[in-house]
Amino acid sequence: MSRLALRAKPLSLRELQRRFFSLITAPEGVDKGLGALDMTPADLEKIVRSDERRSAVERLDIYANMYFFRILDVLREMFPKLTALVGDTPFHNLVTDYLLAFPSSHPSLRNVGEKLPAFLDASVDPKRPWLADLARLEWARHDVFDGGDATALTLDALRALPPAEFAGLPLELIPSHARIATRYSVDGLWQSLSDGEEPIVPRASDGAMLIWRRHGEVLHRVLDEREAAALAEVAEGTSFGILCEWVAGRVPEAEAPQVAFGLLAQWATDGVLVARD
Amino acid sequence: MIELPYLGHGIGLRTSHYQTVVTDKPPVDWFEVISENFMVAGGNPRRVLRAVREHYPVVLHGVSLSLGSTDPLDKAYLDELAALAAEVEPAWLSDHLCWGSYRGHHSHDLLPLPYTEEALAHVADRVLRVQDRLKRQILVENVSSYVSFQHSTMSEWEFLSALTERADCGLLLDVNNIFVSAHNHRFDAHAFLNGVPKDRVVQTHLAGHMEEGPLLLDTHDHPVCDGVWELYRAAVERFGAISTLVEWDDHIPPFERVLEESDRARAVENEVLVATYEQARVAR
Repeated sequence: MSRLALRAKPLSLRELQRRFFSLITAPEGVDKGLGALDMTPADLEKIVRSDERRSAVERLDIYANMYFFRILDVLREMFPKLTALVGDTPFHNLVTDYLLAFPSSHPSLRNVGEKLPAFLDASVDPKRPWLADLARLEWARHDVFDGGDATALTLDALRALPPAEFAGLPLELIPSHARIATRYSVDGLWQSLSDGEEPIVPRASDGAMLIWRRHGEVLHRVLDEREAAALAEVAEGTSFGILCEWVAGRVPEAEAPQVAFGLLAQWATDGVLVARD
Repeated sequence: MIELPYLGHGIGLRTSHYQTVVTDKPPVDWFEVISENFMVAGGNPRRVLRAVREHYPVVLHGVSLSLGSTDPLDKAYLDELAALAAEVEPAWLSDHLCWGSYRGHHSHDLLPLPYTEEALAHVADRVLRVQDRLKRQILVENVSSYVSFQHSTMSEWEFLSALTERADCGLLLDVNNIFVSAHNHRFDAHAFLNGVPKDRVVQTHLAGHMEEGPLLLDTHDHPVCDGVWELYRAAVERFGAISTLVEWDDHIPPFERVLEESDRARAVENEVLVATYEQARVAR
């Protein structure tokens, strides 16, 4: 048999990419990742060229390090409060586990943290069960930063509206908003971390928050139960007249006008409703 | 054939320079933006891009097309890129000769390909399909690499040359990447420059790198080194005036410092063109 015939058949492009990707994303580095592929460093040398400067394993390790640290750096920027709260090394370990559970599935690094809140829900730290809610708030703030543009309805525009037109006033939330459900009151924790103060320990309390962008700035506030439910109605598409009906079914008749107009004025002040043409 | 305009000397637009660029409108011929940073629904990135585009030519430079991946082309990504291009009307679009995803999972890196006939046929087919979708020719850029493959049957520049022919696309020559890869794989950087077809080279990139032990890493966090400047001079001698862009992505200095690098590239180009002109006069 000729020497040529004895040479191993080159890997297909697909198989090469399967092995390369597996090795550079192996949580404990390329050397240990070889075991999962039933390969030895000598096997890798038959695929990847090396020289006296760097072995094949060491060359792939460059990619493995870049893979992890690029994503780690981006997640630190996306979740600055979470990073500050848990500390650098635990956050590093958290990201290692997160990427094993949720490898990046979007072409843009912008989305790499999308599933971190869900990951924290599933791997709850019994001493700090509020971490998932803090991550949820930080992700929402990141997400609305470059959400869709819309001109917001202003309080002045509302004041100029003839009374007869209020009933048919369509209510639509701006695209750059998010509403999140929380199980802990993380607003105070977020603020204390933002102010560089001792972190306030959140209370266990089911709640909701509104996060939105106004004039390029990302804002958030806590919603009470009624406002959260009203915003859920608005998100489905409604008009002020229908909102009034919704309010009338939930509060004493004498209070209904004040509550309905109060909600409308609050949302116009926040800038979370789309302006009509 | 590829016919795209000469844009002059540009700078890669980065977040820390948004304010300076939008407010001061510095003397830069054009800007290149990372497509993915602007493939978002709205907000400040899109506002800045519109403002920059009002005053400068813009080129869209992608990092996620994954031309060499064996995953299917990402239709949603291509649709978003096409929509961005329709709004920005860039002078051209570019991405890299690399792959980045496997089974829908993304490395967010520019991973190297083996230079084989199989890979060439695969990438050429994908470039053709991308160009069909975008309804324009694209430029493909050489990457820095730290790994090469035993079963490669051609050099990187032979692969790129064949790719431009088969897919009828252009080349974005990253001079720093040639320098880094030549060092890491011990090939002759000038052989690379001399090995690609002159009429396919539309743009160059200049950037800084760092030493990582005995190898070089493409980090875009340093000034352009002397060796890369020499290689750039050789590139201008071979290709003539090429649209040139300075990239600086980490430890980003004030805008004026990046502009100095761009001005240095302009001076190198001018020196080469003047020398060529003088030679031509004497020869006449």
